[in-house]
Amino acid sequence: MAPEPGAVPGRRWSGHRGLVLVVIVAAGLWAGFELDLDPRDLLPGEGGWAIARELFAHALSPALDYEDEVPEGTRPLLLKALEAARLTVIFAAAAISLSVVFGVLLGFAASTAWWIGDPAGGHGAGTVARRSVRPLIYGVARVVITLMRSVHELIWAVLLLAAFGLSQLSAVIAIAIPYSGTLAKVFSEMLDEAPRDSALALRAAGASPAQVFLFGLLPRALPDMTAYAFYRFECALRSSAVLGFFGYPTLGYFIAASFENLHYGEVWTYLYTLFVLVALADWWSGALRRRLVG
Amino acid sequence: MSSHEADPRDAGRRDLEIRRLYRARPRSRFARWSGAALVLLVALAWSSSELRFGDYFSERRMANLERFLGELRPYPLQGKDFDLSVAASWAGEVLRGKGWAAAGVTLAMSVAAIVLAALGALALTLYAARTLASPEPYLPAPRPPSRARLWTWRAVVALSRALLIFVRSIPEYVWAFIFLAVLGPTAWPVVLALAVHNSGILGKLTAEVVENLDPEPLAALRGLGASRMQIAAAGLFPLILPRFLLYFFYRWETCVREATVLGMLGIVSLGYWIVDARARNHYDEMFFFVLIGAGIVLVGDLVSAVAREVIRRAA
Repeated sequence: MAPEPGAVPGRRWSGHRGLVLVVIVAAGLWAGFELDLDPRDLLPGEGGWAIARELFAHALSPALDYEDEVPEGTRPLLLKALEAARLTVIFAAAAISLSVVFGVLLGFAASTAWWIGDPAGGHGAGTVARRSVRPLIYGVARVVITLMRSVHELIWAVLLLAAFGLSQLSAVIAIAIPYSGTLAKVFSEMLDEAPRDSALALRAAGASPAQVFLFGLLPRALPDMTAYAFYRFECALRSSAVLGFFGYPTLGYFIAASFENLHYGEVWTYLYTLFVLVALADWWSGALRRRLVG
Repeated sequence: MSSHEADPRDAGRRDLEIRRLYRARPRSRFARWSGAALVLLVALAWSSSELRFGDYFSERRMANLERFLGELRPYPLQGKDFDLSVAASWAGEVLRGKGWAAAGVTLAMSVAAIVLAALGALALTLYAARTLASPEPYLPAPRPPSRARLWTWRAVVALSRALLIFVRSIPEYVWAFIFLAVLGPTAWPVVLALAVHNSGILGKLTAEVVENLDPEPLAALRGLGASRMQIAAAGLFPLILPRFLLYFFYRWETCVREATVLGMLGIVSLGYWIVDARARNHYDEMFFFVLIGAGIVLVGDLVSAVAREVIRRAA
């Protein structure tokens, strides 16, 4: 159909955008009714008010020492918070290092960019075999990535807990599985979207497929990949803290314990510790991104 | 090949040129120190006494793993040959009893949360984007604004940004834990927790989009005498909508994942039944609920991908 004279280009699609908005509003209303979300329930009951008041009263005065008597020889509160922060960082760093290794391997397998390393032409048996096996690698990698990503790290933690029993290593592996999947997905997209001019030039100059990939393609995607891995480290810190709610001695464990003992000042001490950790990682990954990606 | 290397002086000149280019490559001291620091951090982590691979694959744990894998089979089939009809009727029973309802609740929680998060993010963006949140947005005023107004707006921006950072640094799970204690067991704690955390993330991303907008159309609106809210409604929101919707759907995918998990705190979504089945040692049911959760996540990812493609083509 010829466009009407004077029609604004893209007009037809902006109608679809309106449709997306209508669907979102309708879905929101459906969700509200499905869950019986009653605005009146947003007002806490009497006990709730007491907790909210106490909690907010302590927001600006986090505890610097225990709020109750503690047995002699207990480490000072701030030292305990630091120790919990250390373990939070250790779990996150170990998990992200595993995730980067598996993310790179899987991401490479799930990208099609390295296929161009193959010199044009060539009809030998080896070439044919290689070309028919590539889509298979691609498909398997995609399925594995999707399965890893579709289960949340806390559910992996529950599964590993049931399968292996309590071990600190389970916490690291639980985070590393979905994070490897996410890194692999994003890495593969970055490799596929990286400019291919230098790779094609190397291939024309007679470089081997490995050289084409390592020196032509990878360097173009590497800054983005590094910046994204750093961002995921920040997310891993939060995940690692939350694993504390499942018994691992990271920050979440102490947040839950202090909350249940009504030590709201201590809750804020741990919350602010987590806040500082995440804000530092946020600043670090942001500064690095500006320098790498610009 | 040989013709290129006929003259050794040529080769020498080429080498010099390559060396010069190598030295002139872009380098950042910060990036190198960051890399070194991260490698050190990872080495420290793996050498800490808490993480040991040695006993992870001990005999005791392997026996535990074997028992666990056996118990993943649907109960009526344990110790028997696999029979599809028995498995299907078992699965149907779990689905009718708990599965469908929990799946619906999980999905509804994620949708309600992301809609609220979007509203919160848009509201906060108006005060967090430096270009709009200033005494005289987009056009210089005939009279320079008073120092008091200038500093008031700077304080507003700083406060909004601090709030955005704070709400997104605290994980959804911790927010839900606190809201549950305050509000009691309705669906609100989960919805609010997801909404608060995600409005922090959406708000930060949207503020960046607003600050990077081409200021000319907005300056034109200002020139016509539009107020700050009128600029936002008539110029700003339509301009940021495509980008905003992309982020909206990305974050919704995360919300679906988190909504599954937050049920573990005691609200009857899939996560509730997962920890419930684990507590009763019904690993077959637990595993089945995990699979349903993965299914919902996949459906969510698919819907989001389709929606993002529609938006991208429209943009």
